[in-house]
Amino acid sequence: MSDGIPPILAGDPQWRRLDARMLLVHPVQEAVRFLPALLVVFLSGRSSDRSQWWDLGILAIIVVLGIMRWVTTRYRIWGGQIELRQGLVNRRLLTTPADRVRTVDVTAPIWHRALGLARVEIGTAGGGLGAHRIVLDALAAPVAAQLRGELLHRVATADGPADVPADAPDSPDAEPRVSVGPAVDEPEEVLVRLDPAWVRYAPLTTSGLVSAAAIWGVSAQYIGQVDELKDRVEGAVDRVAALGVGVAALAGFLSALIAVSVLAVSGYVLTYWGFRLTRHTGGTLHISRGLITARATSLEERRIRGVEIGQPLGLRLAGAARLSAATSGLGQEGARSGSDWLTPPAPAEVVDRTAVEVVGDEVAVRGPLLSHGPAARRRRFTRAILPAAVLCAATLLLTRATDDLPTALVVAGCLPLLASPWLAADRYAALGHALTPRHLVVRSGTFDRRRVVLAREGVIGVTIRESFFQRRAGLATVTATTAVGRQHYDAIDVPAELSTGLAADLLPGPFAELLDAEHVPQPSSSDRA
Amino acid sequence: MTAPEIPQLREPANLVCPRARWLWLAGGVGEAVLLAALQVGWWFIDQRGSRTPHIIVAVVLGVLALAYLVVMPIWRYRVHRWEVTSSAVYTQTGWISQERRIAPLSRVQTVDLTRGPIAQLLRLATVRVTTASAAGHLVVHGLDQDEAAALVERLTAAAAAERGDAT
Repeated sequence: MSDGIPPILAGDPQWRRLDARMLLVHPVQEAVRFLPALLVVFLSGRSSDRSQWWDLGILAIIVVLGIMRWVTTRYRIWGGQIELRQGLVNRRLLTTPADRVRTVDVTAPIWHRALGLARVEIGTAGGGLGAHRIVLDALAAPVAAQLRGELLHRVATADGPADVPADAPDSPDAEPRVSVGPAVDEPEEVLVRLDPAWVRYAPLTTSGLVSAAAIWGVSAQYIGQVDELKDRVEGAVDRVAALGVGVAALAGFLSALIAVSVLAVSGYVLTYWGFRLTRHTGGTLHISRGLITARATSLEERRIRGVEIGQPLGLRLAGAARLSAATSGLGQEGARSGSDWLTPPAPAEVVDRTAVEVVGDEVAVRGPLLSHGPAARRRRFTRAILPAAVLCAATLLLTRATDDLPTALVVAGCLPLLASPWLAADRYAALGHALTPRHLVVRSGTFDRRRVVLAREGVIGVTIRESFFQRRAGLATVTATTAVGRQHYDAIDVPAELSTGLAADLLPGPFAELLDAEHVPQPSSSDRA
Repeated sequence: MTAPEIPQLREPANLVCPRARWLWLAGGVGEAVLLAALQVGWWFIDQRGSRTPHIIVAVVLGVLALAYLVVMPIWRYRVHRWEVTSSAVYTQTGWISQERRIAPLSRVQTVDLTRGPIAQLLRLATVRVTTASAAGHLVVHGLDQDEAAALVERLTAAAAAERGDAT
């Protein structure tokens, strides 16, 4: 700590402010957010002076609010507590014990990076309820890196001696570009490093489609507001349409395909550039990634209760997958923003290897699963074929009622029926579960196939659900509830002769009193210990 | 994999209060009134002459609603059960779809007791038990007020003794 940054955890009772440079970032951020609206006002030139002043007035209010936010926010980490004080009118004080820290997220969006700042998000236990994240937006990048190091060091030694050694693992004087990543002198083991060739998987995910839809939505709104642009777009559409329906459809399809692919690839590069998953001797996993917005997430390894191997259809066909962690302290929003990703979309082999590294259970990750039997298989087929058949019948009836229904509509209505047997077979092939001494494994899904490996010690409840049709077919859905990740993981349509046993193996203690016959439990590692 | 004798999960020991049927009936009547209001709205909005479709729909809905109001509370009362063993809370809920939930006492985090206006008239209460999982709560509907208070007391004591929530 040669440059005068005092240790944060080790007894500093002073309340600290966020970095003063945020006073520059907030107005710029808000102005950028308003840019499209201002641009439209400027381009259209229709709006009166009054409404322009109106917009500027709102902008000014937002800027003032941003300044007030900085003035009223203070934090300190003292006496084993993280305390955050916020608000002018509604004052509130957030307090959480430092030993409840499970994850630390350090993010540096572009403005932050330009000014050498970083945003720190601290996730604590019970994050599933959403309100347990402490956000410090923003600190100087070296302070943020040091804070992360100290919090996690604290976590790593939570069971050992309580005093925190002065040598925090992160060097504070690393240059801003890499300062949210791990410092070079820290002992670490690289588990995954991005291979640029993996970018080929980007168009196979839905991310391109999502961003294309978002851009379409926004631009359609603004094009509609600016007459000149609207005329041009409509002119272009007319010219293409004049070439005939087939050509126009083909052109539209191809350009959409190219646009979506380009968006997906650039999204992949922006999100995953420089992706590294490393394991640190302190018992944490560390993920750093991002081209423009640099992100670094640290997860306490002891608290990772499992992993989820996700294989959306596109990735699955290409032999790829992605991996995310089931841990607490990320919350719903944390999981949505990708704080829990352990690999980018990558070859399945890489993903499996990483999963084995993280959970340390080869059988759970790669081993065969118990399939759910003929009743579950029948149920997959009825559930896939019946709605498709109804849809097809409805279209055919409609064709008879009205003579001039386009053939394309009939084809579209009956196409799902042709695809449904394949869908059912594939869905059945996905279904399965397994119990290893340490983990519960469940798998399901076609379009979004997921294999979840969940630590049995993380299961805090069991739900057995039977719908009317499930009961008639002798099936039940067994759900393991947990405090991590999606909060519940389901083994769908388990045959009755297995479901009770599976539930009993998940919670052996409580079930001992609830079963009417002797059950030979499948031992978990804690039973053997 | 199948054991020679397949163990069965027995039902929870306790039924809820018999007055709970009236609570469920009141809920069902509320839904039926909503449907009837929609029906009346349709009657006034539809300006065409023929009233036949109105009458057909009204009769069908009326019969279905009546069957629902007769069957649902009785069926629910037969299904809804609860039990607190020495190590776990165990509930069974639903009617057409049924659900059994088991949570170890050591994982209980909070215990809520709620009483809606109709439940207060019937001297009933609903107990809601949460764990560290957002998907793991257990609800016992339609308990007698005194019974519910005793249950809350017992579970709160168990929750206070708890260490570690598997997060």
